[in-house]
Amino acid sequence: MKDVTFGQYYPAKSFVHNMDPRIKILATIAYIVGVFLVTPFHFLGFAACLIFVAVVTAVAKVPFLRVLKSIKAILFIVLFSAVLQIFFNRQGNVLTEFWVIKITDYGLLNAGYITARITLIVLGASLLTLTTSPVELADGIESLMYPLKFIKFPVHEFALIMSIALRFIPTLLGETDRIIKAQKARGANFESGNIFKRAKALIPVLIPLLISSFRRADELADAMDARCYGGSKQRTRYKKLKITYRDIIGAVVVAGLIVGVVFLNKFYVVLAV
Amino acid sequence: MRIEAKNLNYTYSPKAKDFSVRALKNVNLTIEEGDFFAIVGHTGSGKSTFVQHINGLIKVQKGSGELTVGEFDLTDKKCDFKSLRAKTGMVFQYPEYQLFAETVRDDVAFGLKNFFPNLSEKEREEKVKKAIELVGLDYKRIKDRSPFEFSGGQKRRIAIAGVLVSEPEVLILDEPAAGLDPQGKKDFLSLLKKVHGSFVKTIVIVSHDMNLVSEYCNRAAVFSNGGIYKVGSPKEIFSDAAAVEGLGLELPVTAYLENELKKAGVEISSDLTEEDFINNAAKVLIKKGDNA
Repeated sequence: MKDVTFGQYYPAKSFVHNMDPRIKILATIAYIVGVFLVTPFHFLGFAACLIFVAVVTAVAKVPFLRVLKSIKAILFIVLFSAVLQIFFNRQGNVLTEFWVIKITDYGLLNAGYITARITLIVLGASLLTLTTSPVELADGIESLMYPLKFIKFPVHEFALIMSIALRFIPTLLGETDRIIKAQKARGANFESGNIFKRAKALIPVLIPLLISSFRRADELADAMDARCYGGSKQRTRYKKLKITYRDIIGAVVVAGLIVGVVFLNKFYVVLAV
Repeated sequence: MRIEAKNLNYTYSPKAKDFSVRALKNVNLTIEEGDFFAIVGHTGSGKSTFVQHINGLIKVQKGSGELTVGEFDLTDKKCDFKSLRAKTGMVFQYPEYQLFAETVRDDVAFGLKNFFPNLSEKEREEKVKKAIELVGLDYKRIKDRSPFEFSGGQKRRIAIAGVLVSEPEVLILDEPAAGLDPQGKKDFLSLLKKVHGSFVKTIVIVSHDMNLVSEYCNRAAVFSNGGIYKVGSPKEIFSDAAAVEGLGLELPVTAYLENELKKAGVEISSDLTEEDFINNAAKVLIKKGDNA
Protein backbone atom coordinates (compact mmCIF):
# COMPACT_ATOMS: atom_id res chain seq x y z
CA MET A 1 0.00 0.00 0.00
CA LYS A 2 2.92 2.27 0.70
CA ASP A 3 3.98 2.04 -2.92
CA VAL A 4 0.87 3.86 -4.03
CA THR A 5 1.83 7.39 -4.92
CA PHE A 6 -1.09 9.61 -5.53
CA GLY A 7 -1.12 11.78 -8.60
CA GLN A 8 1.91 11.86 -10.77
CA TYR A 9 3.27 15.34 -10.23
CA TYR A 10 6.84 15.53 -11.47
CA PRO A 11 8.52 18.33 -9.56
CA ALA A 12 10.87 20.41 -11.68
CA LYS A 13 11.62 24.03 -12.47
CA SER A 14 10.52 24.79 -15.96
CA PHE A 15 8.60 27.17 -18.16
CA VAL A 16 5.58 24.88 -18.10
CA HIS A 17 5.70 24.25 -14.35
CA ASN A 18 5.70 27.97 -13.73
CA MET A 19 2.65 28.66 -15.84
CA ASP A 20 -0.59 29.69 -14.21
CA PRO A 21 -2.64 26.54 -13.45
CA ARG A 22 -5.76 28.20 -14.86
CA ILE A 23 -4.13 28.73 -18.22
CA LYS A 24 -2.77 25.20 -18.14
CA ILE A 25 -6.22 23.77 -17.48
CA LEU A 26 -7.77 25.87 -20.24
CA ALA A 27 -4.91 25.04 -22.60
CA THR A 28 -5.41 21.34 -21.91
CA ILE A 29 -9.10 21.63 -22.68
CA ALA A 30 -8.24 23.54 -25.87
CA TYR A 31 -5.71 20.87 -26.80
CA ILE A 32 -8.31 18.13 -26.34
CA VAL A 33 -10.72 20.09 -28.53
CA GLY A 34 -7.88 20.35 -31.05
CA VAL A 35 -7.43 16.58 -31.06
CA PHE A 36 -11.15 16.13 -31.63
CA LEU A 37 -11.06 18.64 -34.48
CA VAL A 38 -8.87 16.33 -36.55
CA THR A 39 -11.33 14.91 -39.09
CA PRO A 40 -11.11 11.20 -39.91
CA PHE A 41 -7.88 10.06 -41.47
CA HIS A 42 -6.13 13.44 -41.63
CA PHE A 43 -3.26 11.90 -39.78
CA LEU A 44 -1.11 14.97 -40.33
CA GLY A 45 -3.28 16.76 -37.76
CA PHE A 46 -2.40 14.05 -35.24
CA ALA A 47 1.23 14.43 -36.15
CA ALA A 48 0.95 18.12 -35.29
CA CYS A 49 -0.58 17.25 -31.89
CA LEU A 50 2.15 14.69 -31.25
CA ILE A 51 4.84 17.23 -32.04
CA PHE A 52 3.09 19.67 -29.69
CA VAL A 53 3.14 17.07 -26.86
CA ALA A 54 6.80 16.30 -27.53
CA VAL A 55 7.77 19.98 -27.48
CA VAL A 56 5.84 20.69 -24.27
CA THR A 57 7.40 17.61 -22.62
CA ALA A 58 10.87 18.78 -23.58
CA VAL A 59 10.21 22.34 -22.38
CA ALA A 60 8.72 21.01 -19.12
CA LYS A 61 11.87 18.92 -18.51
CA VAL A 62 9.72 15.87 -17.85
CA PRO A 63 11.29 12.55 -18.93
CA PHE A 64 9.54 11.24 -22.05
CA LEU A 65 9.11 7.85 -20.42
CA ARG A 66 7.10 9.37 -17.58
CA VAL A 67 4.67 10.85 -20.08
CA LEU A 68 4.45 7.61 -22.04
CA LYS A 69 3.75 5.69 -18.84
CA SER A 70 0.37 7.40 -18.58
CA ILE A 71 -0.76 5.31 -21.54
CA LYS A 72 -0.38 2.19 -19.45
CA ALA A 73 -3.60 2.97 -17.59
CA ILE A 74 -5.67 3.10 -20.79
CA LEU A 75 -3.78 0.47 -22.74
CA PHE A 76 -6.60 -2.03 -22.39
CA ILE A 77 -9.27 0.37 -23.63
CA VAL A 78 -7.13 1.40 -26.58
CA LEU A 79 -6.29 -2.16 -27.59
CA PHE A 80 -9.86 -3.29 -27.10
CA SER A 81 -11.35 -0.61 -29.33
CA ALA A 82 -8.60 -1.04 -31.93
CA VAL A 83 -9.15 -4.80 -32.09
CA LEU A 84 -12.92 -4.32 -32.41
CA GLN A 85 -12.38 -1.91 -35.28
CA ILE A 86 -9.90 -4.11 -37.10
CA PHE A 87 -11.84 -7.33 -36.90
CA PHE A 88 -15.45 -6.28 -36.96
CA ASN A 89 -15.68 -3.12 -39.05
CA ARG A 90 -17.43 -4.20 -42.27
CA GLN A 91 -17.16 -0.92 -44.17
CA GLY A 92 -14.70 -0.31 -47.01
CA ASN A 93 -12.74 -2.73 -49.17
CA VAL A 94 -12.08 -6.18 -47.79
CA LEU A 95 -8.39 -6.92 -47.51
CA THR A 96 -8.45 -10.45 -46.09
CA GLU A 97 -11.20 -12.68 -44.85
CA PHE A 98 -11.31 -15.77 -42.68
CA TRP A 99 -14.05 -17.45 -40.66
CA VAL A 100 -16.39 -14.69 -39.39
CA ILE A 101 -13.70 -12.05 -39.57
CA LYS A 102 -13.30 -9.55 -42.38
CA ILE A 103 -10.44 -7.11 -42.26
CA THR A 104 -11.14 -3.98 -44.29
CA ASP A 105 -8.99 -0.97 -45.11
CA TYR A 106 -11.57 1.27 -43.50
CA GLY A 107 -11.43 -0.79 -40.30
CA LEU A 108 -7.65 -0.51 -40.16
CA LEU A 109 -7.73 3.23 -40.70
CA ASN A 110 -10.47 3.68 -38.14
CA ALA A 111 -8.50 1.63 -35.60
CA GLY A 112 -5.50 3.87 -36.16
CA TYR A 113 -7.68 6.97 -35.92
CA ILE A 114 -9.28 5.97 -32.61
CA THR A 115 -6.00 4.80 -31.12
CA ALA A 116 -4.28 8.06 -32.05
CA ARG A 117 -7.14 10.11 -30.65
CA ILE A 118 -7.34 8.42 -27.23
CA THR A 119 -3.57 8.21 -26.85
CA LEU A 120 -3.02 11.87 -27.70
CA ILE A 121 -5.75 13.02 -25.31
CA VAL A 122 -4.28 11.01 -22.45
CA LEU A 123 -0.75 12.21 -23.21
CA GLY A 124 -1.86 15.83 -23.16
CA ALA A 125 -3.94 15.47 -20.01
CA SER A 126 -1.10 13.70 -18.22
CA LEU A 127 1.20 16.60 -19.07
CA LEU A 128 -1.15 18.80 -17.05
CA THR A 129 -0.99 16.59 -13.96
CA LEU A 130 2.73 15.98 -14.39
CA THR A 131 3.54 19.67 -14.34
CA THR A 132 0.89 20.93 -11.93
CA SER A 133 0.77 19.94 -8.27
CA PRO A 134 -2.62 18.84 -6.88
CA VAL A 135 -2.79 21.99 -4.75
CA GLU A 136 -2.18 24.23 -7.75
CA LEU A 137 -4.78 22.30 -9.69
CA ALA A 138 -7.34 22.81 -6.95
CA ASP A 139 -6.52 26.52 -6.83
CA GLY A 140 -6.85 26.76 -10.58
CA ILE A 141 -10.18 24.97 -10.64
CA GLU A 142 -11.49 27.18 -7.85
CA SER A 143 -10.53 30.29 -9.74
CA LEU A 144 -12.00 28.99 -13.00
CA MET A 145 -15.27 28.16 -11.25
CA TYR A 146 -15.55 31.67 -9.88
CA PRO A 147 -18.36 32.71 -12.28
CA LEU A 148 -20.55 29.99 -10.74
CA LYS A 149 -20.74 32.16 -7.62
CA PHE A 150 -23.36 34.24 -9.34
CA ILE A 151 -25.72 31.29 -9.34
CA LYS A 152 -25.01 30.86 -5.60
CA PHE A 153 -22.71 27.89 -6.05
CA PRO A 154 -20.36 27.64 -3.02
CA VAL A 155 -17.17 27.74 -5.06
CA HIS A 156 -14.77 28.31 -2.20
CA GLU A 157 -16.25 25.56 -0.06
CA PHE A 158 -16.18 23.21 -3.00
CA ALA A 159 -12.50 23.96 -3.59
CA LEU A 160 -11.79 23.48 0.11
CA ILE A 161 -13.47 20.08 0.05
CA MET A 162 -11.34 19.20 -2.94
CA SER A 163 -8.06 20.22 -1.36
CA ILE A 164 -8.89 18.50 1.93
CA ALA A 165 -9.75 15.32 0.06
CA LEU A 166 -6.47 15.49 -1.84
CA ARG A 167 -4.55 16.22 1.34
CA PHE A 168 -6.01 13.24 3.17
CA ILE A 169 -5.53 10.59 0.52
CA PRO A 170 -1.99 9.70 1.66
CA THR A 171 -3.06 9.86 5.31
CA LEU A 172 -5.94 7.49 4.71
CA LEU A 173 -3.75 5.14 2.70
CA GLY A 174 -1.30 5.00 5.60
CA GLU A 175 -4.14 4.39 8.03
CA THR A 176 -5.60 1.64 5.85
CA ASP A 177 -2.22 -0.03 5.66
CA ARG A 178 -1.89 0.06 9.45
CA ILE A 179 -5.36 -1.34 10.09
CA ILE A 180 -4.90 -4.10 7.51
CA LYS A 181 -1.69 -5.09 9.24
CA ALA A 182 -3.30 -5.03 12.68
CA GLN A 183 -6.14 -7.29 11.52
CA LYS A 184 -3.74 -9.57 9.65
CA ALA A 185 -1.82 -9.95 12.89
CA ARG A 186 -5.11 -11.19 14.36
CA GLY A 187 -5.37 -13.78 11.62
CA ALA A 188 -7.56 -11.92 9.14
CA ASN A 189 -7.23 -13.24 5.63
CA PHE A 190 -7.71 -10.87 2.71
CA GLU A 191 -6.07 -12.94 0.04
CA SER A 192 -8.12 -16.07 -0.38
CA GLY A 193 -11.74 -17.09 -0.73
CA ASN A 194 -14.39 -16.07 -3.23
CA ILE A 195 -15.45 -12.50 -3.86
CA PHE A 196 -18.12 -12.51 -1.13
CA LYS A 197 -15.71 -13.87 1.45
CA ARG A 198 -13.17 -11.22 0.52
CA ALA A 199 -15.73 -8.45 0.70
CA LYS A 200 -16.76 -9.67 4.13
CA ALA A 201 -13.13 -9.80 5.21
CA LEU A 202 -12.90 -6.07 4.54
CA ILE A 203 -15.44 -5.16 7.24
CA PRO A 204 -12.82 -5.21 10.03
CA VAL A 205 -10.82 -2.73 7.94
CA LEU A 206 -13.59 -0.45 6.74
CA ILE A 207 -15.27 0.13 10.09
CA PRO A 208 -12.15 1.35 11.92
CA LEU A 209 -11.27 3.42 8.86
CA LEU A 210 -14.68 5.06 8.81
CA ILE A 211 -14.53 5.77 12.53
CA SER A 212 -11.07 7.29 12.32
CA SER A 213 -12.14 9.42 9.35
CA PHE A 214 -14.94 10.90 11.43
CA ARG A 215 -12.52 11.49 14.27
CA ARG A 216 -10.09 13.20 11.91
CA ALA A 217 -12.85 15.34 10.41
CA ASP A 218 -13.85 16.46 13.90
CA GLU A 219 -10.27 17.28 14.82
CA LEU A 220 -9.71 19.17 11.59
CA ALA A 221 -12.90 21.18 12.10
CA ASP A 222 -11.77 22.08 15.63
CA ALA A 223 -8.32 23.08 14.41
CA MET A 224 -9.85 25.28 11.72
CA ASP A 225 -12.26 26.84 14.20
CA ALA A 226 -9.41 27.49 16.61
CA ARG A 227 -7.71 29.48 13.89
CA CYS A 228 -10.89 31.44 13.17
CA TYR A 229 -11.57 29.97 9.77
CA GLY A 230 -14.71 31.65 8.53
CA GLY A 231 -15.35 30.53 5.00
CA SER A 232 -14.89 32.48 1.82
CA LYS A 233 -15.82 35.97 2.99
CA GLN A 234 -12.95 38.43 2.96
CA ARG A 235 -10.41 35.69 2.74
CA THR A 236 -7.11 36.66 1.19
CA ARG A 237 -4.74 34.28 -0.50
CA TYR A 238 -1.21 33.35 0.35
CA LYS A 239 -0.41 32.50 -3.23
CA LYS A 240 -2.11 34.76 -5.75
CA LEU A 241 -2.49 33.35 -9.23
CA LYS A 242 -1.02 35.68 -11.79
CA ILE A 243 -0.98 35.68 -15.55
CA THR A 244 2.56 36.26 -16.85
CA TYR A 245 4.27 36.36 -20.22
CA ARG A 246 4.61 32.57 -20.01
CA ASP A 247 0.88 32.13 -20.00
CA ILE A 248 0.43 34.39 -22.98
CA ILE A 249 3.08 32.47 -24.91
CA GLY A 250 1.47 29.17 -23.87
CA ALA A 251 -1.98 30.33 -24.95
CA VAL A 252 -0.64 31.54 -28.30
CA VAL A 253 1.11 28.21 -28.92
CA VAL A 254 -2.05 26.21 -28.20
CA ALA A 255 -4.09 28.55 -30.37
CA GLY A 256 -1.47 28.00 -33.09
CA LEU A 257 -1.90 24.26 -32.72
CA ILE A 258 -5.66 24.49 -33.23
CA VAL A 259 -5.27 26.73 -36.27
CA GLY A 260 -2.68 24.28 -37.61
CA VAL A 261 -5.03 21.32 -37.14
CA VAL A 262 -7.86 23.11 -38.94
CA PHE A 263 -5.48 24.10 -41.71
CA LEU A 264 -4.25 20.55 -42.14
CA ASN A 265 -7.86 19.33 -42.22
CA LYS A 266 -8.74 21.68 -45.03
CA PHE A 267 -5.73 21.62 -47.30
CA TYR A 268 -4.21 18.18 -47.16
CA VAL A 269 -5.56 15.24 -49.06
CA VAL A 270 -7.35 12.56 -47.11
CA LEU A 271 -5.28 9.42 -46.78
CA ALA A 272 -6.66 6.53 -48.83
CA VAL A 273 -10.35 5.74 -49.22
CA MET B 1 10.44 -19.52 20.42
CA ARG B 2 13.79 -18.14 19.49
CA ILE B 3 13.89 -15.28 17.02
CA GLU B 4 16.97 -15.18 14.89
CA ALA B 5 17.77 -12.72 12.11
CA LYS B 6 20.89 -13.12 10.00
CA ASN B 7 22.02 -10.37 7.64
CA LEU B 8 18.45 -9.19 7.29
CA ASN B 9 17.93 -6.39 4.77
CA TYR B 10 14.82 -4.57 3.67
CA THR B 11 14.26 -1.88 1.07
CA TYR B 12 11.00 0.05 0.63
CA SER B 13 9.93 0.49 -3.00
CA PRO B 14 13.05 -1.20 -4.38
CA LYS B 15 11.94 -0.71 -7.97
CA ALA B 16 11.54 3.06 -7.85
CA LYS B 17 15.14 4.09 -7.69
CA ASP B 18 14.55 7.68 -6.60
CA PHE B 19 12.16 6.75 -3.81
CA SER B 20 13.60 3.52 -2.48
CA VAL B 21 14.66 3.56 1.14
CA ARG B 22 16.88 1.00 2.79
CA ALA B 23 15.09 0.44 6.07
CA LEU B 24 17.18 -2.49 7.33
CA LYS B 25 20.86 -3.00 6.70
CA ASN B 26 22.48 -6.33 7.56
CA VAL B 27 20.62 -6.81 10.82
CA ASN B 28 21.95 -9.66 12.95
CA LEU B 29 19.88 -10.19 16.05
CA THR B 30 18.92 -13.10 18.27
CA ILE B 31 16.10 -12.84 20.76
CA GLU B 32 16.08 -15.80 23.12
CA GLU B 33 12.97 -17.47 24.49
CA GLY B 34 12.16 -15.84 27.81
CA ASP B 35 13.59 -12.46 26.95
CA PHE B 36 11.82 -9.23 27.80
CA PHE B 37 13.49 -7.56 24.88
CA ALA B 38 13.46 -3.85 24.05
CA ILE B 39 14.09 -2.34 20.65
CA VAL B 40 14.97 1.32 20.80
CA GLY B 41 16.15 3.90 18.30
CA HIS B 42 15.23 7.20 16.72
CA THR B 43 12.24 7.50 14.36
CA GLY B 44 13.01 5.93 11.02
CA SER B 45 15.74 3.71 12.40
CA GLY B 46 14.07 0.52 11.20
CA LYS B 47 12.55 -0.70 14.48
CA SER B 48 9.01 -1.08 13.21
CA THR B 49 10.16 -2.62 9.95
CA PHE B 50 12.10 -5.20 11.92
CA VAL B 51 9.33 -6.19 14.32
CA GLN B 52 6.82 -6.45 11.49
CA HIS B 53 9.11 -9.03 9.92
CA ILE B 54 8.80 -11.24 12.97
CA ASN B 55 5.19 -12.24 12.33
CA GLY B 56 5.38 -12.00 8.57
CA LEU B 57 3.44 -8.74 8.12
CA ILE B 58 6.43 -7.68 6.08
CA LYS B 59 7.81 -10.54 4.06
CA VAL B 60 11.54 -11.10 3.86
CA GLN B 61 12.66 -9.87 0.47
CA LYS B 62 14.34 -12.34 -1.85
CA GLY B 63 18.03 -12.72 -1.12
CA SER B 64 17.85 -10.30 1.80
CA GLY B 65 19.07 -12.54 4.58
CA GLU B 66 17.53 -15.12 6.89
CA LEU B 67 14.89 -14.98 9.58
CA THR B 68 13.64 -17.79 11.76
CA VAL B 69 11.07 -17.66 14.54
CA GLY B 70 11.05 -20.94 16.45
CA GLU B 71 10.45 -23.67 13.92
CA PHE B 72 9.24 -21.19 11.26
CA ASP B 73 11.59 -20.24 8.45
CA LEU B 74 10.24 -16.95 7.15
CA THR B 75 12.28 -17.01 3.97
CA ASP B 76 10.51 -20.22 2.99
CA LYS B 77 7.68 -19.64 0.52
CA LYS B 78 5.65 -22.41 2.14
CA CYS B 79 5.91 -20.87 5.60
CA ASP B 80 2.58 -21.19 7.43
CA PHE B 81 2.01 -17.54 8.30
CA LYS B 82 -1.33 -18.19 9.93
CA SER B 83 0.14 -20.49 12.58
CA LEU B 84 3.08 -18.14 12.95
CA ARG B 85 0.78 -15.20 13.61
CA ALA B 86 -1.23 -17.24 16.09
CA LYS B 87 1.96 -17.77 18.05
CA THR B 88 3.32 -14.25 17.69
CA GLY B 89 0.80 -11.70 18.86
CA MET B 90 1.32 -8.14 17.71
CA VAL B 91 0.07 -5.00 19.41
CA PHE B 92 0.42 -1.87 17.33
CA GLN B 93 0.63 1.71 18.44
CA TYR B 94 -2.85 2.94 19.37
CA PRO B 95 -4.35 -0.57 19.12
CA GLU B 96 -7.76 0.83 20.09
CA TYR B 97 -8.15 2.07 16.51
CA GLN B 98 -8.46 -1.48 15.25
CA LEU B 99 -11.68 -2.25 17.12
CA PHE B 100 -14.58 -2.91 14.78
CA ALA B 101 -17.14 -5.41 16.05
CA GLU B 102 -20.56 -4.73 17.51
CA THR B 103 -19.78 -6.14 20.92
CA VAL B 104 -16.65 -6.42 23.02
CA ARG B 105 -16.99 -10.19 23.00
CA ASP B 106 -17.09 -10.39 19.20
CA ASP B 107 -14.12 -8.11 18.84
CA VAL B 108 -11.97 -10.04 21.27
CA ALA B 109 -13.03 -13.32 19.66
CA PHE B 110 -12.01 -12.15 16.17
CA GLY B 111 -8.46 -13.51 16.33
CA LEU B 112 -9.64 -16.71 17.95
CA LYS B 113 -12.15 -17.36 15.18
CA ASN B 114 -9.47 -16.78 12.56
CA PHE B 115 -6.74 -18.85 14.14
CA PHE B 116 -8.75 -21.67 15.71
CA PRO B 117 -12.00 -22.03 13.76
CA ASN B 118 -12.63 -25.46 15.21
CA LEU B 119 -13.11 -24.34 18.81
CA SER B 120 -16.53 -24.99 20.29
CA GLU B 121 -18.72 -22.07 21.29
CA LYS B 122 -18.07 -22.87 24.93
CA GLU B 123 -14.30 -23.07 24.63
CA ARG B 124 -14.24 -19.81 22.76
CA GLU B 125 -16.39 -18.09 25.37
CA GLU B 126 -14.04 -19.36 28.06
CA LYS B 127 -10.93 -18.03 26.34
CA VAL B 128 -12.52 -14.64 25.63
CA LYS B 129 -13.56 -14.38 29.27
CA LYS B 130 -10.06 -15.24 30.40
CA ALA B 131 -8.46 -12.66 28.12
CA ILE B 132 -10.82 -9.88 29.17
CA GLU B 133 -10.29 -10.65 32.82
CA LEU B 134 -6.54 -10.78 32.25
CA VAL B 135 -6.52 -7.15 31.10
CA GLY B 136 -8.45 -6.19 34.21
CA LEU B 137 -11.98 -5.72 32.90
CA ASP B 138 -15.24 -7.19 34.13
CA TYR B 139 -16.33 -9.73 31.51
CA LYS B 140 -19.96 -9.99 32.54
CA ARG B 141 -20.51 -6.27 32.57
CA ILE B 142 -18.87 -5.37 29.29
CA LYS B 143 -19.20 -8.38 26.99
CA ASP B 144 -22.39 -7.26 25.25
CA ARG B 145 -21.61 -3.57 25.04
CA SER B 146 -20.15 -1.84 22.00
CA PRO B 147 -16.36 -1.43 22.21
CA PHE B 148 -16.75 2.17 21.05
CA GLU B 149 -18.54 3.40 24.15
CA PHE B 150 -15.54 2.96 26.42
CA SER B 151 -12.78 5.40 27.34
CA GLY B 152 -9.47 5.41 25.49
CA GLY B 153 -7.61 3.39 28.11
CA GLN B 154 -10.37 0.80 28.35
CA LYS B 155 -10.57 0.52 24.56
CA ARG B 156 -6.86 -0.19 24.52
CA ARG B 157 -7.29 -2.97 27.06
CA ILE B 158 -10.05 -4.51 24.98
CA ALA B 159 -7.82 -4.35 21.90
CA ILE B 160 -4.97 -5.99 23.78
CA ALA B 161 -7.32 -8.68 25.06
CA GLY B 162 -8.07 -9.32 21.38
CA VAL B 163 -4.41 -10.13 20.85
CA LEU B 164 -3.84 -12.07 24.06
CA VAL B 165 -6.89 -14.24 23.50
CA SER B 166 -5.02 -16.57 21.15
CA GLU B 167 -2.36 -17.04 23.84
CA PRO B 168 0.70 -16.15 21.75
CA GLU B 169 4.11 -17.38 22.87
CA VAL B 170 5.76 -14.23 21.57
CA LEU B 171 4.19 -10.85 22.18
CA ILE B 172 5.40 -7.97 20.04
CA LEU B 173 4.44 -4.45 21.05
CA ASP B 174 5.10 -1.36 18.97
CA GLU B 175 5.01 1.75 21.17
CA PRO B 176 2.20 0.32 23.29
CA ALA B 177 2.22 2.92 26.04
CA ALA B 178 1.94 5.98 23.79
CA GLY B 179 -0.78 8.36 24.90
CA LEU B 180 -1.48 6.68 28.24
CA ASP B 181 -1.51 8.65 31.48
CA PRO B 182 1.03 7.66 34.17
CA GLN B 183 -1.40 5.39 36.02
CA GLY B 184 -2.54 3.81 32.77
CA LYS B 185 1.08 3.19 31.86
CA LYS B 186 1.79 1.55 35.20
CA ASP B 187 -1.24 -0.70 34.94
CA PHE B 188 -0.29 -1.60 31.43
CA LEU B 189 3.27 -2.53 32.33
CA SER B 190 2.22 -4.63 35.27
CA LEU B 191 -0.12 -6.42 32.87
CA LEU B 192 2.85 -7.14 30.62
CA LYS B 193 4.81 -8.50 33.56
CA LYS B 194 1.89 -10.70 34.53
CA VAL B 195 1.51 -12.24 31.06
CA HIS B 196 5.26 -12.64 30.65
CA GLY B 197 5.16 -15.18 33.44
CA SER B 198 2.26 -17.14 31.95
CA PHE B 199 1.67 -18.26 28.38
CA VAL B 200 3.73 -15.44 26.86
CA LYS B 201 7.34 -16.62 26.86
CA THR B 202 8.99 -13.75 25.02
CA ILE B 203 8.12 -10.08 24.85
CA VAL B 204 9.57 -7.78 22.22
CA ILE B 205 8.76 -4.15 22.87
CA VAL B 206 9.52 -1.13 20.70
CA SER B 207 9.70 1.95 22.85
CA HIS B 208 11.00 5.47 23.17
CA ASP B 209 10.62 5.31 26.93
CA MET B 210 14.04 4.47 28.32
CA ASN B 211 12.73 4.22 31.86
CA LEU B 212 10.53 1.39 30.72
CA VAL B 213 13.53 -0.27 29.08
CA SER B 214 15.75 -0.10 32.15
CA GLU B 215 12.94 -1.10 34.49
CA TYR B 216 11.44 -4.08 32.71
CA CYS B 217 13.73 -5.40 30.00
CA ASN B 218 16.59 -7.83 30.44
CA ARG B 219 18.04 -7.14 27.01
CA ALA B 220 17.80 -4.42 24.42
CA ALA B 221 18.95 -3.56 20.92
CA VAL B 222 19.64 -0.05 19.71
CA PHE B 223 18.75 0.55 16.08
CA SER B 224 20.28 3.40 14.16
CA ASN B 225 19.75 4.17 10.47
CA GLY B 226 18.55 0.66 9.72
CA GLY B 227 21.44 -1.12 11.38
CA ILE B 228 22.05 -2.37 14.90
CA TYR B 229 24.24 -0.11 16.95
CA LYS B 230 24.42 -2.16 20.11
CA VAL B 231 22.84 -5.18 21.78
CA GLY B 232 23.05 -5.95 25.48
CA SER B 233 21.56 -5.48 28.92
CA PRO B 234 20.22 -2.03 29.78
CA LYS B 235 23.29 -1.56 31.94
CA GLU B 236 25.57 -2.16 28.96
CA ILE B 237 23.47 -0.06 26.60
CA PHE B 238 23.32 2.97 28.86
CA SER B 239 26.90 2.78 30.09
CA ASP B 240 28.05 5.20 27.40
CA ALA B 241 25.83 8.22 28.04
CA ALA B 242 27.34 10.38 25.31
CA ALA B 243 26.82 7.72 22.63
CA VAL B 244 23.23 7.10 23.72
CA GLU B 245 22.42 10.78 23.57
CA GLY B 246 24.25 11.10 20.26
CA LEU B 247 21.75 8.63 18.80
CA GLY B 248 18.86 10.87 19.72
CA LEU B 249 17.86 8.84 22.77
CA GLU B 250 17.76 9.83 26.40
CA LEU B 251 19.05 8.05 29.49
CA PRO B 252 16.71 6.44 31.98
CA VAL B 253 16.41 8.41 35.23
CA THR B 254 18.48 5.86 37.14
CA ALA B 255 21.37 5.98 34.65
CA TYR B 256 21.21 9.76 34.57
CA LEU B 257 21.38 9.95 38.37
CA GLU B 258 24.27 7.50 38.48
CA ASN B 259 26.20 9.62 36.01
CA GLU B 260 25.54 12.91 37.75
CA LEU B 261 26.33 11.48 41.18
CA LYS B 262 29.55 10.02 39.82
CA LYS B 263 30.58 13.51 38.73
CA ALA B 264 29.90 14.65 42.31
CA GLY B 265 32.06 11.84 43.64
CA VAL B 266 29.38 9.36 44.68
CA GLU B 267 29.65 5.95 43.04
CA ILE B 268 26.44 3.97 42.75
CA SER B 269 26.30 0.86 40.61
CA SER B 270 22.86 -0.68 40.14
CA ASP B 271 21.32 -2.72 37.35
CA LEU B 272 19.34 0.47 36.55
CA THR B 273 15.99 -0.74 37.89
CA GLU B 274 14.47 1.71 40.35
CA GLU B 275 14.44 -0.78 43.19
CA ASP B 276 18.05 -1.84 42.79
CA PHE B 277 19.14 1.76 42.38
CA ILE B 278 17.43 2.80 45.61
CA ASN B 279 18.90 -0.15 47.50
CA ASN B 280 22.41 0.61 46.27
CA ALA B 281 22.01 4.32 46.94
CA ALA B 282 20.85 3.54 50.46
CA LYS B 283 23.90 1.34 51.05
CA VAL B 284 26.22 4.10 49.86
CA LEU B 285 24.47 6.63 52.06
CA ILE B 286 24.68 4.40 55.12
CA LYS B 287 28.37 3.83 54.50
CA LYS B 288 28.95 7.59 54.26
CA GLY B 289 27.03 8.04 57.47
CA ASP B 290 29.22 5.45 59.20
CA ASN B 291 32.40 7.15 57.99
CA ALA B 292 31.34 10.58 59.19
